Amino acid sequence: MARIQLENITKRFDDVVAVKDLNLEVDDGEFIVVVGPSGCGKSTTLRMISGLESVSEGTIRIGGVDVTGQEPSDRGIAMVFQNYALYPHMSAKRNMTFGMKSAGSFTDEEIEERAMSAAEILDITDLLGRKPGALSGGERQRVALGRAICRDPQVFLMDEPLSNLDAKLRVQMRAELAKLHDELGTTTVYVTHDQTEAMTLGDRVVVLDGGQLQQVDSPQRLYDFPENRFVAEFIGDPAMNMIAVDVADGIASHPAFSIPLPDGDSLSVGSAVLGIRPEDLYLADEREATSPETFEATVSVTEPLGDSLLLHGQIEGHEFKIQAQPRRTITPGDTVELGYDPDRLHLFDRDTGEAIYHSDPTASIAPSGVTQ
Amino acid sequence: MAKHDATERDAVDRYTGGSLGGSLPDNLWMHVGLIGSIALMSLPIVLAALMSTQSVSQIYEVTNLAPGGQGVDNYTRALFEHDLFAFMINSFIMAIAIVIGKIALSLLAALALVYYDFPYKNAVFVFVLFTLMLPVPVRIVPLFELMVNLDWINTMWAITVPYLASATAVFLFRQHFMSIPASMVEAAKLDDIGGIKFLIYVLIPMSKGMIAGVGVITYVYAWNQYLWPLAVINNKENQVLQVGLKSLEGTAAAGQIEWGLIMSGAIIALIPPLIVLVVLHKPLLETFGLQQK
Repeated sequence: MARIQLENITKRFDDVVAVKDLNLEVDDGEFIVVVGPSGCGKSTTLRMISGLESVSEGTIRIGGVDVTGQEPSDRGIAMVFQNYALYPHMSAKRNMTFGMKSAGSFTDEEIEERAMSAAEILDITDLLGRKPGALSGGERQRVALGRAICRDPQVFLMDEPLSNLDAKLRVQMRAELAKLHDELGTTTVYVTHDQTEAMTLGDRVVVLDGGQLQQVDSPQRLYDFPENRFVAEFIGDPAMNMIAVDVADGIASHPAFSIPLPDGDSLSVGSAVLGIRPEDLYLADEREATSPETFEATVSVTEPLGDSLLLHGQIEGHEFKIQAQPRRTITPGDTVELGYDPDRLHLFDRDTGEAIYHSDPTASIAPSGVTQ
Repeated sequence: MAKHDATERDAVDRYTGGSLGGSLPDNLWMHVGLIGSIALMSLPIVLAALMSTQSVSQIYEVTNLAPGGQGVDNYTRALFEHDLFAFMINSFIMAIAIVIGKIALSLLAALALVYYDFPYKNAVFVFVLFTLMLPVPVRIVPLFELMVNLDWINTMWAITVPYLASATAVFLFRQHFMSIPASMVEAAKLDDIGGIKFLIYVLIPMSKGMIAGVGVITYVYAWNQYLWPLAVINNKENQVLQVGLKSLEGTAAAGQIEWGLIMSGAIIALIPPLIVLVVLHKPLLETFGLQQK
C-alpha cells in the first residue's frame, strides 16, 4: 500500500499534448477513479503511473519514492487490462503465477500459497486448471484480477477492466471490486469512461477533459457542486440542462421566466448560464410547488424509461430535458407547466464555464473560490 | 415434429448441395470437370507408381498399364544398390537443419522487428524483404567462391547455412506477432519478463500453427533442392537425394534405360515431403489464411 503523487505531469506525443500539467495525490488505500470522455488522457495517465508510457515532464512518486524513470517491474504495481491480457496457452493458474515465477524472488511454496489464497478470495479455485478459452468473460476478469492480487502490489492500476463484460455482469463485478477493495485496502487507480462506475466505485473521482484536470472530489460533491460546465454536463444522466440567462439583483431572467436565486441577492453578473438537472425539474401538478415560479414548456419528445418519463421540452426554442413521474399520458405537442427545486440551481460563467453560484444551502462547504 | 424434421432436412440439403437425385443434373458437369482435372494432375504420379513395379521390358510395352511384379526388386535396388537410402539420410539431415535454423533465425528477427525499438527499423525490414530478389540460384557463383574460401565444399554446412536467412519466414512471423495484443507484452513488461523468455514462453506457444506452417513449406523446399547441392557437393557420401536420383539415369540394362528403377527412386523421393504435408496440412492452410470446411 502506498501513496501516489503526480507532480506537474505532462505527456506529449509529437505535437499533441495528451496530459497537461496534472497534479494529483492519491491517499494510501484510496480507491480513486479517473473518468472522462475518449481521448481525455485518462489511460495515458494510468500508463504513466505504470511506467508503460514515459513522462515528458513532471515527477511521479509511489510511496514517497520517485519512480519517474524506473522500469514498470520495479514500481510495485499490478495492472488489470481491458482485454485481460491473459496468455491463451496457459492455464488460469499458470497465468497467475507466470510473472512471479519469472521474477525469481519468490519460492515455489510462496507462489502456490499466494495463488491459492487469491483464488479463494475471487472464488475461482475450481477454474485454475482451465485455459482462458474455456472461461467466460467474468471468469477471465477474475483470473486477471487474481494475477494482480497474487503479486501483492503497493498499487493496483485498472484500465477499464469491466468494459468487455455485458451489462448485468458489469454491475455484479462492480460490486465485487468494491468488496475486494474493502478487503485488501490496496491503493487503486481505476480508469473508466462510464460515469456510473466512477460514481459507485470511487472514494474520490478525478474528471479529466482534454488532458486537463477538471475536478477531484467525492462522487456526491461532484454531482452537487460541479466546478465548471464540463463536470456539470459530464456527471449525471441525462445531462444537466444549460440555458443562457441574465443575472441582476439575485434574479436570473430569461424571456420565458425569471428565477430568483436563493441567498443570491447580491449577485449581479450580467449574462451567465443557468444549470438545472432534469431530475430537479418536475411537472407543476405532480407535487406541491416548491418553487416560487413556474413556467411553461412545449413537449417535443417523450421517452418512457419505466421508472420515470423523460420529456424533451422547448422553452423559447431552447431544448430542456425534464424527468417526470412515470405512467403519465403526455404526448408531443402538449404544453406542460414546470416547477423546479430552488435548492438545486447552478450558475456558470458564460465565457470560462467556471461555476459562480450553487443554490444548495449547504454550499458553504462548496469548493473554495465558488461564490454562493 | 414432422415439419421440424423436414425443415432440418432442407437445411442439410442446402448445406450439402442438395440430395443426390434432385440436383445431380446441376452439378454433374462440374463434378465431371473436377474429377477429370484431378485425374489429369495425378496421372504422372500414378504412372510413376505403376512403372516403378514393372520390369524394363514391361515398361517398353507402352500399352501395358498393369502393375508388374518387379516392385520389391526395383525399390530395394534403388535404395541399397544405388545408395538412395544414404542420399535420403543426407537430404533428411539437410532439410531438418534448414527448417530448425530458418525458423529460429526468423523468430529472433521478427521479435526484434516487432518488439524492440531501434533506429531505421522499417528500413531494416525493407532490406530483409529485398533479399527475396536474391535467392540462392542467383548468388550461385559468389556463394560458391565463399564456400571454397571457407573450406565448406562437400560439407553439410555448405548445403544448409546459405538457406537459413528467409525473408518470407521473417515476414510471416512479423505479421503474426503484430496481431498479438499489445497488452500481453505490457503484462510481461510489468512482470519483468525479458525478450527471450517472452519469445519462448509466450510467442512460440502462441505461434505454433504459424511455425508448423513455415516448417512444412521450408521442409518441402529444402528437400527439393537440386542445383546448389549439385554444385557444391561432389562426392557421393555427402550427396542429397534429388541429385542422387539423377545418377540412376546412367544405369542401363541391355542398352535400355531402367525406367522402373528410376521411377521407384522418384516415388521414394516423393514420400517424405508427402508425409510431412499430410500430417501438417492443417497449420499449413492456417498459415495461408485458408479454411477447410
